[in-house]
Amino acid sequence: MTAFLRQYRDLVSMELRSMRAEVPMVAVIQAGFTLGFVLGFGYLIPDIREQTALYIITGTATQGLVTIGLVMLPQILAQSKHEGRLDYFLAMPISREAYLLALVTVVGLMALPGIVFCLLFGAWHYGIALQLSPLFPAVIVLGIASLAGVGIALAVYSPHQQVTNAATQLIIFYVLFFAPVLMPREQLPALLRETARFAPPSYAADAVRASVTDLPGTHLGASLAAMALFAAGSIALSAVAIRRRG
Amino acid sequence: MTPLPPVLSVRDLVKRYRNGTLANDHVCLDLFPGEVFALLGPNGAGKTTLVRQLLGLARPTSGSITLDGVDIVADPGFARRNIGFLPQGSFDLQSLTVAETIEFAARLRGVPPREARAAAARLVERLDLGPFRNTAMHAASGGVRRLAGFAAAVAAPARLLVLDEPTNDVDPLRRAVLWDLIAELGRGGATILLVTHNLAEAERVIDRLAIMNAGRIIREGSPAALRGLVTERLRLEVTAARPLAPHPALAPDGPSACLFDAADLPAVAAWLARLRAAGDVLDFRIGPPTLDDIYAAAMASAGPGRSAPLPAGARA
Repeated sequence: MTAFLRQYRDLVSMELRSMRAEVPMVAVIQAGFTLGFVLGFGYLIPDIREQTALYIITGTATQGLVTIGLVMLPQILAQSKHEGRLDYFLAMPISREAYLLALVTVVGLMALPGIVFCLLFGAWHYGIALQLSPLFPAVIVLGIASLAGVGIALAVYSPHQQVTNAATQLIIFYVLFFAPVLMPREQLPALLRETARFAPPSYAADAVRASVTDLPGTHLGASLAAMALFAAGSIALSAVAIRRRG
Repeated sequence: MTPLPPVLSVRDLVKRYRNGTLANDHVCLDLFPGEVFALLGPNGAGKTTLVRQLLGLARPTSGSITLDGVDIVADPGFARRNIGFLPQGSFDLQSLTVAETIEFAARLRGVPPREARAAAARLVERLDLGPFRNTAMHAASGGVRRLAGFAAAVAAPARLLVLDEPTNDVDPLRRAVLWDLIAELGRGGATILLVTHNLAEAERVIDRLAIMNAGRIIREGSPAALRGLVTERLRLEVTAARPLAPHPALAPDGPSACLFDAADLPAVAAWLARLRAAGDVLDFRIGPPTLDDIYAAAMASAGPGRSAPLPAGARA
């Protein structure tokens, strides 16, 4: 086993154990999120159409990914940075990339049960049969990698923990109300449609929709490519930042 | 006999931050094999900046740092592979237990899993952490977390150990065990850079020390040599039955201790005898100055931001 893989294995194992108290809490939050959105929108919109229901289900699943990768992870990392825990790891003889990939892996594993629960519960609640694409695992992997990658870059480049926390709150608002995550892209005003081109949650939502539904207007290949670019770019940028010596 | 080359050599190290702050100002240090070297200084003296440069977390503005002859400014990976580190701040990993924290620190430093587990078990035993072995770090007391951090720093072989305030929050009994272990590591050939404010206890393990102020080393030498700074002073510790009127020869040094000139010893002794007879003083002890006194004298003579000349013979 190469040093990189050994370090990656040890870091994943360590991070999973270090977050074992948080895993049930994350599961409860994600389940609550799913129940709230899937049931709540049903109350808001009485005679919900299948297409709308599919947007709610896939948008909520994507929202779960965003909450963990683009909100929880940068907040944890910003706190680590603030408290000096990040420096402790950077003073260790470990690959920066292995450390970042281990973080992405761990939050991905934490997000997975919530996504599966959301899709299954939503489909059952609205009586819809999902059409699972064989590319669904790749969508989840690239979805979490792109969102967590950008989340890590946000925390690493942010000058202060409070700035990171404020930015993550803004991201939640943006994704909930102003991005093509819970709603079709064509229903957004032109400015937001353009903005969405630069936002990784747009591609994650599009890919999730394309991989479990036959909704028109989705672009699985393009979204996978965009997510891969966001993931590789953000992790590379973060590695540069944490390799830099002040 | 040719002296052994230093394990760590810092030469003319300057660190100036982008905002203009001069954190290290031509720092020079040599740490030799098996030496326990203490770095002292007030907050903001530049100790943490120096440590960050040793660990490859900050790049010097100028100057050099070598570890076993390797330029670790150019090759910070060599420093990370060969320096064990206990940071001053928190580094606890939420739900990791005390034993897991030590084990994973060793594994991340390249120790195979089985050996890392064995090293963790040994250190848990040695530091009397058995009752806390399976306690999550976030639920452990500050002292237990500190000891786990210390164990994590020493769990893998290292050429240099950098221990930043290892005894913070640790209870007196375990502090004694910890100092014994530091002394043992030093005797076993480990080179240790100790950043501490706990001078009274550190004194028993330190071979040499340096005092930093305003980014510069203002004193360096063995504790015995540096006592030359306060050689004409004595330390008096008093246990009083009630508040005492101060004696003109005494300069307060903490709540129950004073320093005075050795020449005033007869007057001070007579004063103490009178007070003891009257029942005002229950007990007292006169002895040589401590490292705390050396530190205070060095800081007083340096003044803020200035470097005081070394007294003759102070450098060991």
